[in-house]
Amino acid sequence: MKRIFVTVGIVITLLAFAPKNKLVGRWETKPSPKGNITGVVFNKDYTYEGYVNKKPFVSGTYSLGRNTITIEETGCNGTKAIYKLIFFNHSDSLRFEAINDSCSERKEGMQRTILGRVK
Amino acid sequence: MKKCVLIISAVITLLFMQAMIINNEPANKKELGKLLFFDPILSSDSTISCASCHKPQFAFADSSATSRGVGDVQGSRNTPSAMNVVLQNFFFWDGRAKSLEEQALAPIENPEEMNLPIDKALERLKENGSYNAYFKKIFNSEPNRQNLTEALAAFERSLETNESPFDRWKFYQDPHAVSEAVKRGFIVFNKKGKCIKCHFGSNFAADGFRNIGLFNSRELNDSGRAVISKDPQDAGKFKIAPLRNVGVTAPYMHNGMFKTLKEVIQFYNDPAKIVLNSINRDSLLAKPLGLTDQEKADLESFLMALTDKSFDINKK
Repeated sequence: MKRIFVTVGIVITLLAFAPKNKLVGRWETKPSPKGNITGVVFNKDYTYEGYVNKKPFVSGTYSLGRNTITIEETGCNGTKAIYKLIFFNHSDSLRFEAINDSCSERKEGMQRTILGRVK
Repeated sequence: MKKCVLIISAVITLLFMQAMIINNEPANKKELGKLLFFDPILSSDSTISCASCHKPQFAFADSSATSRGVGDVQGSRNTPSAMNVVLQNFFFWDGRAKSLEEQALAPIENPEEMNLPIDKALERLKENGSYNAYFKKIFNSEPNRQNLTEALAAFERSLETNESPFDRWKFYQDPHAVSEAVKRGFIVFNKKGKCIKCHFGSNFAADGFRNIGLFNSRELNDSGRAVISKDPQDAGKFKIAPLRNVGVTAPYMHNGMFKTLKEVIQFYNDPAKIVLNSINRDSLLAKPLGLTDQEKADLESFLMALTDKSFDINKK
């Protein structure tokens, strides 16, 4: 019985100190001059879905480094890309800085995107 | 007493008719565009409207291989869907219009379609008391080229759909919104089928033109994009068609030569088997895809899952 309590205690302690994935959830841009809204849902299972005007346009997987994200998706011929994550506004806003991305279209889009957390 | 009842009935009828007319009055550009889109006033013999070929029940496409214009003239290309055009940068199969505004007037003037010079169309609208009043109210001006295009384009921009099973699966994160066949089909679409190479983005279409092998300069002699670009390398290239609602827009391709999605998938699986001697077919389609029957069926299920709920036949 004592062993069970100890084990449960260790698990709770580990969970409490595990780094929290701040990305999980829905993020969206403000409407563009033409009224288009781009967004992304980062899932707990390290998959994500990107969309424009509620229309999904890309699916992918991601992994997190210290301040970086590595993505691999259905677009851009499945090439991987690494971006620096820059959180601001109390971690409710987010932008990306390219570290390595050979897909110029994605790079252009990612670098001009500013996302806000959808609550 | 009888006379009194008759007068009251007549007054009620008149009031009812007036209310009907008032209700028909467009409140903004989009509503005026809708009225014009469905009105044959913009065709030379007043028999054809935009909606005669862009039929709402077929996602604003046509169910014929090529549509018929005024005087029953047979058109030469399949009518594309007028839906989900907001993010498109080219219009018509050969991409000859670069904006919706540029696109909007062309079918009115085209002899194979509505066959009415724009100046005459504007005269008609000015002579029509109701339209003249609507344009003045909404644009503070009589009908002219500019505001006619604005109204039609505004209506077309309102025809966006984002409520398909695929959207419910991916956007609303509902894994039960689609079947396992659809999920498998999505993988075929992205990998073995190579569809994603051209059909990507929120409407499943890149902004570009491809020669998929439907040009052989014989019985298939529409050279497509080359007529506009004047570049011989573009012979046989056509606009990459968006795939949203593709399940209700049969027949397919620029000439409507495939009656079903099955036929389309069969073609892409091995183009050379279906069209002999095609010229400059895209290198992506150089080798047969080698899809199994199961993969073909799954791919079709995925494509059907792009159909917006407004076209759900079971609901009607």
